Amino acid sequence: MSESRQLLCDMADGLFSDLAEAGFDKAWPRIEEAGFASLLIPEEQGGFGGGWGDAYAVLRIAGRHALSAPLGDTIIAHRLLMEAGIIPPAGPIGLAKANGQVGYGRHCGSVVCIEGGELRLVEVATSEIVEGYSLAGEPFDRICPAGAPLANAHCAANLSALGAFALVAQSAGALEAAFELTLEHVNTRVQFGKALGRFQAVQQAMAEFSVEAAAIDAAGQAMAAALDKGCALDDSTGFEVAAAKLRANMAIERCFPIAHRLHGAIGFTMEYALNRYTRRLMDWRGDCGNDAYWAGILGRRVAKLGGCGLWPEITRRSDAAAPAE
Amino acid sequence: MQIFPIRAFDPPVTVTSLRQQVREIVRQHEHRWTPEERCNPWLKCDAEFSLALGGAGLLGLTWPQQYGGQERSVLERYVVLEELLAHGAPCGCHWIADRQTGPLLLRYGSEHLREKYLPGIARGEVYACIGLSEPNAGSDLASVRSQARRTAGGWVLNGQKIWTSNAHACQTMLALVRTDPGSERHAGLSQLMIDLDLPGISVRPIIDMTGEHHFNEVFFDDALIPLEALVGTEGEGWKQAMAELAYERSGPERYLSTHMLFAELVDVIGADPPEPVAQLIGRLAAEVWTLRQMSMSTAAKLAAGEDPVIEASIVKDLGNAFEQAMPRLIQAAVDADLLAGSALGRMLAHVLVASPSFSLRGGTPEVLRGIIAKGLGLR
Repeated sequence: MSESRQLLCDMADGLFSDLAEAGFDKAWPRIEEAGFASLLIPEEQGGFGGGWGDAYAVLRIAGRHALSAPLGDTIIAHRLLMEAGIIPPAGPIGLAKANGQVGYGRHCGSVVCIEGGELRLVEVATSEIVEGYSLAGEPFDRICPAGAPLANAHCAANLSALGAFALVAQSAGALEAAFELTLEHVNTRVQFGKALGRFQAVQQAMAEFSVEAAAIDAAGQAMAAALDKGCALDDSTGFEVAAAKLRANMAIERCFPIAHRLHGAIGFTMEYALNRYTRRLMDWRGDCGNDAYWAGILGRRVAKLGGCGLWPEITRRSDAAAPAE
Repeated sequence: MQIFPIRAFDPPVTVTSLRQQVREIVRQHEHRWTPEERCNPWLKCDAEFSLALGGAGLLGLTWPQQYGGQERSVLERYVVLEELLAHGAPCGCHWIADRQTGPLLLRYGSEHLREKYLPGIARGEVYACIGLSEPNAGSDLASVRSQARRTAGGWVLNGQKIWTSNAHACQTMLALVRTDPGSERHAGLSQLMIDLDLPGISVRPIIDMTGEHHFNEVFFDDALIPLEALVGTEGEGWKQAMAELAYERSGPERYLSTHMLFAELVDVIGADPPEPVAQLIGRLAAEVWTLRQMSMSTAAKLAAGEDPVIEASIVKDLGNAFEQAMPRLIQAAVDADLLAGSALGRMLAHVLVASPSFSLRGGTPEVLRGIIAKGLGLR
């Protein structure tokens, strides 16, 4: 990890762990103050000058601490607005799903909608808000714009893919946190005269958990590295994002049952921390493209390559960074 | 605790030309290969192909030139391996010798042994098999009982190895045997390079459930093995054998050995697949892509001198599970009419029946997960 990314991660980890129990109202001012919103804005435009790998690392840490704020949306919205030549308004900025739903919509000052190649920046104060909640109890509101947008511009970005990027990062962090809680639990909880972790059956389940936590994070890191190498965000079938979100969904499916199984009833309470991770994971698995969505997109893309084209495409994408011979 | 920090695999400058070179050699030979052979490439043998690879300088790639090697990088070798596997090229003849026997001889072998074996392995002429498992020493390898007694004229070897893949095709075996008669478990073991044409050695086939002959039993009855066949240090065999197994770690063979079945499925199903099959292809592609990132990262760590034991076990466990699930998923999703009599049908039939062996070679899931659990501090 580069020195600047390490510093960024240390700062994020310190702040987000402070805010782990905080609600949105308490958390957001400190996140805004720390300047994370401009993570993907170049330094010469007054931003942090980070890349997708940095964004991945920060959002992963946000997932680790179950941060109650639309950080991923805001980081990505700032980048989209900057590219569209629109000055981002202050405050959290949401990204609208195709059906108009926005995470933390009621708390956002504005929302980015992209439809038919056009980006519209919508003011929340003048919109109708239909309140709702995610599986994790986070605000998940439908924002129905009433008046003219604050700004609009041409934009080829794919919000499903960008949203999926953020969710893979957050899921990798949340799965890791759930893993650590479970590891701590089986190492300290004594039953039948010994720690649960001394039982081979429990060890096997923990190993299975860890390989999936490894897979989701490896896929996420590789996805971010591919974006930094210039994989285009306007490509609605971006290979790496599709593969990483799909693999993340598969890991979530396999892991959250193990976490709860090993915790027993303790893990099923509202008080105990595990549900803050597993409910988010359950929600994120279906958000910004479920398994069927990304499997279909990726599968059709591979089918068009043909059997002889698949391997050359996989290697071409990773060899692109090779220096000239 | 980040379980799997990725280390970037920086493609070597020769990556494009190396891929082209391997693809061209494959094109020259693939007319001989059956659909079945292309779905089990590191077990299936094609002596002519191994010779061709040796002739092209693609074996012993990282070894010193004085032993017939090319002194190229570990990552270049990784690129060659993944190209061979992704194209289903039968590499069974040279696979073990090139992957682990040769590197072990370079690390521990005497000058005599290096000169005797390495140039032939690098030419694709000399093949080696693994002499580890015995009837009562499978996953529990320290139970090895085959015994070599040192005499003035050589080691007198008695005992038996089993499940020895391709022993009938190999000239030599790197065996783990007990050289200290009273010893137990990890102590008193040594490694010997045993030429299988010596008197007192017999190789008998074990037909596996695919109907094919890869496994063997190898019997030693007062076989006289030259003293200079000792590899490394007498009594250090356990440590050396563990080092040998480290060369097996996390290579692309853990997820790419059935890639041709996947490619054939994509070809047969066409550019506009029905939705369930499109989704299956997407899932398989996501898993292949993820495993490749993990395998390359582990290779990059090995190349940088790290010892990524846990990562390697994770890649093996996930890779085995993926390769075993693939034929079952394809069978469940694909119209049976597409399978009848086709190359896809032959590949699927072979891989379905061969798939139980995927979690035998290199450790069962239970053994691998035990290693991982230990790494997590759980034992």
